[in-house]
Amino acid sequence: MSAALRSFETQWRTRARDALQPIREAAMERFLKLGLPSLRDETWRYTDLRALAGQSYRDAGCETPGAASLSASLSLDNAEQHAATLSMINGCPVLPADLPAINGIEINSIRELYNQTPNSLRRFFDSASDADQRRWVLLNTALFIDGLYLKITKPVSTPIVIRHVSTGDGAQSAHPRIIIDVKPGASAIIIEHHLSEGDITPLSNSNTHIALSQDAQLEHYRVYATGSGATHLDALDIEQAEGSSCRQFTIALGGGLVRSSLEARLSQPGASLDSYSLLVGHQDRHVDCVNIVTHAAPNTRSRQTARAIAGDVSRVIFNSKVIVNAGANNSDSKQSCRGLLLSPNAEIDTRPQLEIHADEVKCAHGATTGRLDPDMLFYLLSRGLDRETAQSLLVFAFLADVLTGMSVSSARSAIENALISQLPDSQTLRKFR
Amino acid sequence: MLKISDLTARVAGKEILTGVNLTVNAGEVHAIMGPNGSGKSTLAQVLAGREDYEVTRGSVTFEGQDLLAMRAEERARAGLFLGFQYPVEIPGVNNVYLLKAALNAKRKAAGEPEVDAYEFLALIRQKMKFMQMSESFLTRGVNEGFSGGEKKRNEVLQMLVLEPKLAILDETDSGLDIDALKVVSTGVNSLRDPARAVVLVTHYQRLLDYVIPDQVHVLSGGRIVKSGDKSLAHELERRGYDWVMGTQVA
Repeated sequence: MSAALRSFETQWRTRARDALQPIREAAMERFLKLGLPSLRDETWRYTDLRALAGQSYRDAGCETPGAASLSASLSLDNAEQHAATLSMINGCPVLPADLPAINGIEINSIRELYNQTPNSLRRFFDSASDADQRRWVLLNTALFIDGLYLKITKPVSTPIVIRHVSTGDGAQSAHPRIIIDVKPGASAIIIEHHLSEGDITPLSNSNTHIALSQDAQLEHYRVYATGSGATHLDALDIEQAEGSSCRQFTIALGGGLVRSSLEARLSQPGASLDSYSLLVGHQDRHVDCVNIVTHAAPNTRSRQTARAIAGDVSRVIFNSKVIVNAGANNSDSKQSCRGLLLSPNAEIDTRPQLEIHADEVKCAHGATTGRLDPDMLFYLLSRGLDRETAQSLLVFAFLADVLTGMSVSSARSAIENALISQLPDSQTLRKFR
Repeated sequence: MLKISDLTARVAGKEILTGVNLTVNAGEVHAIMGPNGSGKSTLAQVLAGREDYEVTRGSVTFEGQDLLAMRAEERARAGLFLGFQYPVEIPGVNNVYLLKAALNAKRKAAGEPEVDAYEFLALIRQKMKFMQMSESFLTRGVNEGFSGGEKKRNEVLQMLVLEPKLAILDETDSGLDIDALKVVSTGVNSLRDPARAVVLVTHYQRLLDYVIPDQVHVLSGGRIVKSGDKSLAHELERRGYDWVMGTQVA
């Protein structure tokens, strides 16, 4: 057993029991049996966890960090009116006593709600699965201290921001958990913003579960903006009922090792998912993004648009799969993955896959990776633009398909600003033609 | 304004220009003609500062400055403009944005303030009308989905907005129907001015019926083998390039 596994077991043994105990127990048992994923596991083949496995982790705790030193390369909180800004410190919800009552949103602690009405939440803790991408979710289920449950009951047009703050040292671990439950006909915009105090942070193993009821709509962002030493494993589960639509943005702009997964299940006819990924490799960052979209009912629609850029010695992976179940006729899916290398020492891997068990489907996929087009660059320079401007123009043009999809303009401009600061300077780029 | 002396250049290890000599004075229009593969486009790209074209010998001065020591963007800001033979499409970068950024880069280099947004749009609309371009241009990406003729009009539009001292137009006439050729020619003629110069790189004499050159040069084998006045263009049209290439041997 690896040092990490042993230490997680120790954390588990010393935890106080709560109402979730039977669920947690089953998850922990399964996790210990399966162990950590390795390069042999299909969805982990690009991310080597051996260094992580050799370390021991203790519980990160819930202390509030000094607000001054947050890795606030992104300021998503100020520019626009928000319906609510909620905080999670190392996975512990910080609910202000005077949380404003917002029409159409109920916000609860998962533990408290589970104590009172376990049946309302049980369906969000699915039975333990052997799938390799779910191992860390099992650990999250066993060890999460508490989490936020957001119930949306009406159309809410102003964004709700959840700030996930990671603080502590690298020998700690945290397991943030969020449940977003959008009721029939309701809609919301939710931004999860992951940031850290300083560059070194606890290992963060987060899970967000989104459930969209009939005709519900959600625009969801997860923005990774933690410090350069952060290790972040983040899993997002989406289940969609009839006629529901989800627009999901995964934005990787921070962290040292980021492993991000999205598993969506289009369970009923008319469900529609638009997934956008903007993955930025900077310095020695490693970003591994895994999407698995299952069309489980007829007349479902999915679009995956991934744009990856990689500079310095970074590595970015976009590994996506569309599964069309038997009987899910008239499923319509598209995967578009494009990579832009900004340095000779960076690497981008894109791997769109299809697994089709139905006859009448429309499934398209495409993947390309290249460098900045020298003809385009020369054209802009020949019009007098300086190199930095010309290069950023071309990078932004490359990312336009993702950026223009964002309806929250403050989020978009914050993301664009953070992006500019991570583009290689022109000297570096010039050597790489 | 432009003085090229014994210029040789290589592209991908192959010597394309083998000793070009050319002097263009302010107020003049020069035409550079020649068969395919003679080095016309290479010369245009080298003058504009394309980095992967390697200059191996010779010198170029532009208004007394060492042009070859300047980067492409500096040459543009100093007043040199290249109209591309094959203008690239850049989806996601707006036409108007590029024009404004280009104009402001030039103004900044000249110590002038940035152009007022309202005045700029008025200027663009006026020039667009002159070039008979459709309004949809304003919202489209650079050359995105443009026909060959639209791309060439866009090159001339950019030239009219930037008002360069020296315009090098690389086969701006190719692929144009007669109406478009007239519009483009009117655009080029409107820039004629005692303080400016134009170099037309062209394969055919057709354009020179509308933009009358002061001098015509024939480029062959990477150097200028014959120069003359506008009658040379007509003679080439009649006798073909073989005639000049014959004189090169002699």
